Amino acid sequence: MDRCALGNHSRLCVPCGAPDRLGGLNVEEHLVAATAEDVRVVLEGRITAYTAAAIWQSAFETLANNPDRPIMVDASRLQYVDNVGIALLFDLGRQERRPGAEIRLLALAPNLAAVLRRYEPKDFATRASTRTHVGVLEELGRATSGQLLYLKELTRFLRRCIGALRVTRSRPHSVNWGDVLDVATETGANAVPIVLLMGFLMGVIIAFEVGLVARQFGAVIFVVNGVGVAILRELGGLMTAIVLAGRTGAAFAAQIGTQKVNEELNAICTFGLDPIEFLVLPRLLAALLVVPLLATLADIAGLVGGALVMTTFNISFLQFYTRLLSAVTAGDFALGVLKAAVFGLTIAAVGCHRGLQTGAGATSVGLSATSAVVTSIVLIIVIDGLFAVLTS
Amino acid sequence: MQDNKAQPVISVRNLRMGYGTHILLEEASFDVHRQEILVILGGSGSGKSSLMKNLIGLYVPMAGDILIDGDSLVRAGADERARLQRKLGVMYQSGAMFGSLNVLENVRFPLDRFTNLTLEERNLTARMALRAVEMGQAEALMPAELSGGMLKRAGIARAMALGCDILLLDEPSAGLDPITAANVDQMILSLRMNLNLTFVVVTHELQSIFGIADRAIMLDPESRRIIADDAPTALRDHSADARVRRFFNREPDAIWAQLSR
Repeated sequence: MDRCALGNHSRLCVPCGAPDRLGGLNVEEHLVAATAEDVRVVLEGRITAYTAAAIWQSAFETLANNPDRPIMVDASRLQYVDNVGIALLFDLGRQERRPGAEIRLLALAPNLAAVLRRYEPKDFATRASTRTHVGVLEELGRATSGQLLYLKELTRFLRRCIGALRVTRSRPHSVNWGDVLDVATETGANAVPIVLLMGFLMGVIIAFEVGLVARQFGAVIFVVNGVGVAILRELGGLMTAIVLAGRTGAAFAAQIGTQKVNEELNAICTFGLDPIEFLVLPRLLAALLVVPLLATLADIAGLVGGALVMTTFNISFLQFYTRLLSAVTAGDFALGVLKAAVFGLTIAAVGCHRGLQTGAGATSVGLSATSAVVTSIVLIIVIDGLFAVLTS
Repeated sequence: MQDNKAQPVISVRNLRMGYGTHILLEEASFDVHRQEILVILGGSGSGKSSLMKNLIGLYVPMAGDILIDGDSLVRAGADERARLQRKLGVMYQSGAMFGSLNVLENVRFPLDRFTNLTLEERNLTARMALRAVEMGQAEALMPAELSGGMLKRAGIARAMALGCDILLLDEPSAGLDPITAANVDQMILSLRMNLNLTFVVVTHELQSIFGIADRAIMLDPESRRIIADDAPTALRDHSADARVRRFFNREPDAIWAQLSR
């Protein structure tokens, strides 16, 4: 005599949504009269999302323990079933069993029966789709081809940007200079404090580190040459560009990306406006304008920081100044500023391009911002290397 | 479910809500009864969606109280509030599907978080919920690949996945084609009949209102009060308030009526 039942103690009709709903209900086996041939499973009380797990498990244990006997599922004492409970009833009903060992649902409320009739077991026969995982090699291949494709697209985009810049020269009134000024304020003026701080600290650190080594050889005065050349030719522009890649490149990508997600870009296109001219060009011009200026500020702050540190190595401001004038040329400064302008264009172009490439949804805006920063920093370093080779 | 019909599932008492100094609604009191379909009406900007956000505890009202099954949502602590909120299934206007999860994972999300069902059981429940809103074919798609109507239906599936018996729907049929909108209406009626669910629906689709609503309350932005609370047909035919009758009879402002003559 194998007898089995599922259910819970709560014989009272519990209003749905009552506090006990979250607590779960005790499910235990207790004896119910049954014949030797069939197994009776009694479902009682409330089956909800919070209580279904245990009932589901013991129901299927009963099924597994009695593979050759018919199962009678008695639903007459059910008080409340939510959609998880319905899934449980459906799951019981759709089990394939040996002939003579079928499952029968008894005394199901008509409304529940109506719901269950709407589902066909065959509709759920396929496995729920899971994410496919790709192998390392495939991942590598995809990433490489993705990067190559991106470079190609970026080149095409840059060509369009240069075309738009040419238009600016022939028709300057077609540019919205108010926009350019707004972007320049946000990108340039608001970035002055961080650029000054960064430039100053950079000068301090370089002068100090190099000074310590040079002192051992009695060559402290040459530190001025090193600091001057390093800051004016390389670091002023480079560090400014890296700060702006994080600050401005990401902002451009996020702004334009959100506009794309909100279909603002489509609206611009339907007005017959070119998004490149309307959104990208002001940003390019603003970056071209402010990044060299910011780099100049970083240069000045760096030299001041270096000069301050050199006083601790017994090099006075006047000595620093005269030595600096003999060590660097206007060409060094000009090269640094020229590089900064190219970096600025790169940051703005990459940021805007990543923004325009944004797919749909919040995730893709985040991805655009991230990749704008990473891509522009990589490109900045590559361009800096090219400059170093060309000007050596 | 016959018992406790007397106690409203949602009870709003002297609610005042708004933003900063801007008050949208004052002295609002109404009840939502079990298995009822209540529609919240009002012109654009009358605070329908804000009222719904108050009902689900996203905004805190300026004054008054909101009771869910007799428990105050306003005075509740963080844990109690979360418990009360889990009783409510909410569909947001745009569907609010999580962009990084596919449709099935979106619907399964509350089950993953709050139940100890196995993955297969959760998958089956979520797929049945999707099937109930005729979204079975779209389970593997990402939200970005769905149309507006599909997003709404997936939103309804996610709202009901956790077995919530009170569903709040923000404009479920706005922007849908007439057939899909009618299907959504039928789905709401069938869920109410078969699963004994209670619905609070924000909408201004007249056909949908007459099709599904047991009762309608109407918000008025000028007087900042609830100016109607009755069955929609009664409001259309017998309301003492001209604004209410005009709303239900879709009458334009007098100036347009004159111009088109």
